[in-house]
Amino acid sequence: MIQLEGVAKRFGEIEALAALDLEIRDGEWLGVLGRNGSGKTSLLRILVGLSQPSSGKILFDGQEPDTEAWRRVHRTLGFMPERVSFFEHLTGEKTLRYFARLKGVAQHEVAPLLAQVGLTAAAGRKLGGYSKGMLQRLNLAQALLGDPRMLVVDEPIEGLDADGAREFFEILKRVEGRTVIMSSHRVGMMSRYMDRVCVLNAGRVVALGTESDLHQTLDLPVRVTLQPSVESNGHLATALERLEIGSVANRNGIVVVSVSQRDKIRFLASLQSLEASIDNVRIEEPSLEEVLRETH
Amino acid sequence: MRRTDAIWAIAFEELSDRLRSRWIWTVSGLVLVTSLAITFLGTAPVGVVGASGSGAVMASLLNLAVYLVPLLALVMGAGVIIDEKRRGVLDLILAYPVSSSEYFVGTFVGYAAALSIALVSSFVPTGIVLSVTTGVNTGEFVRLLLLVLALGTVFLALSFLVSILSRDHARGIAVSVLVWILAVFVFDLALVGGLMIYPGDVPLALFGSALLLNPTDIFRLLAFSWVGSAASPLGLATVAPPISSAVLVVALGIWTGAALLVSHHLFIKRLATDRLV
Repeated sequence: MIQLEGVAKRFGEIEALAALDLEIRDGEWLGVLGRNGSGKTSLLRILVGLSQPSSGKILFDGQEPDTEAWRRVHRTLGFMPERVSFFEHLTGEKTLRYFARLKGVAQHEVAPLLAQVGLTAAAGRKLGGYSKGMLQRLNLAQALLGDPRMLVVDEPIEGLDADGAREFFEILKRVEGRTVIMSSHRVGMMSRYMDRVCVLNAGRVVALGTESDLHQTLDLPVRVTLQPSVESNGHLATALERLEIGSVANRNGIVVVSVSQRDKIRFLASLQSLEASIDNVRIEEPSLEEVLRETH
Repeated sequence: MRRTDAIWAIAFEELSDRLRSRWIWTVSGLVLVTSLAITFLGTAPVGVVGASGSGAVMASLLNLAVYLVPLLALVMGAGVIIDEKRRGVLDLILAYPVSSSEYFVGTFVGYAAALSIALVSSFVPTGIVLSVTTGVNTGEFVRLLLLVLALGTVFLALSFLVSILSRDHARGIAVSVLVWILAVFVFDLALVGGLMIYPGDVPLALFGSALLLNPTDIFRLLAFSWVGSAASPLGLATVAPPISSAVLVVALGIWTGAALLVSHHLFIKRLATDRLV
């Protein structure tokens, strides 16, 4: 388990992180969300030991690491930075062999890793000829060297198209059981793959939990879309307004009701009495985008 | 994993990356062509054309080294470490079980090896030509080569300091050129100026100590005692007080060690405070 206790990071007058408390459980996938300058990268750099907190402490399995302990942490850690320019004159295989030597990982582990990220065919090609997606997969492969217990991944899918991003997560899913800490702007992907989300704003944790935890905490409204039946004679919206639960809007014959989290069950139960007037119901929980909007 | 494994891995990678630099091979080629030209044409002013192993030729080779080796080393190291920081490679390597000191040492070893290969490639062909055609003292030429390598290493260490202080590759090159002008031209001119303004007033010991403040003068003084045939045309070194070779070697070592220690200290400090670039 990783614990951050009152971790703050300042750059002169600028406060990148403000007394942050956070616990990351073993095997958990934690997404770190926030706009540019919210403190995501500062948090990740502290987690991998590239930056020292201005105050507060970080504990791995209850111990504050000294220099030797950081070395041990680094043996079981995979880090995938957002931007890295590998040596263009090296091939994918030679690049991975170089990083394997740095980690003390056996050279025979390189080929299976290249296969895992789908780069076997391109292994002998120089990196100057790699696409952005291929470089990202190579970046992921170096992070996976030595079968790390913890993966820290900074903005891995920025600049990738939807297929590229999905492909990235499919590869990452194969390392389930490991702790994964990932920052990103792509909230849709984060909500689909992460166990918990930590939303940062101006260096502070403004929301933390599973997606449904965040909905409850922030009480963002649920959107219920109802398709009126012919029998309703256009009176469904009026009937729903009479219930006095949430706000009702009529959009080209489709009725959309916004209901708070605490009224959600009561509202859905009350629809039973209007069953004959409704052809179809769709319930949409607020998206992480809305969570992000609400917290910034 | 042994810690030396990481150092060697980094050193080897830096070496192969440096050896791909066109700048290194351009300057090495320039040194080679010029040294061969000196070998064959160095005695032309006295009416002799052809390979010559005279003291004048050896002294010219030494002067060539004084001018070009520091420049090669300084420009080669401009941007060292900070370029890798900007490319994200430094952060990635330090997230591995590699300490910042191991990274620093590995990088210096790699650069020093690349510089040595470039210098050996520049001077050895000339040495072979001299040895075969003129029967020049091979021992003297080997000592000259060792001195050239030592001179390159001192300025490479200084280039690490310049790069870390500059925080930017372009600024690093500008500062490197300034350091080169200072070491190769300005320092000796200032010293000569001092001697002319106060003739007879400057004690020889003070003059000798002043020469130790410039690695290129230490190089000249060592050449004075190690490369005998080149001794007479070596300018300031010939009027300098006798300083033992051991002191001069230690002085070169101190220059290299001090430059590396200070740059290592600054590197660690700026890394810890996120102010490297």
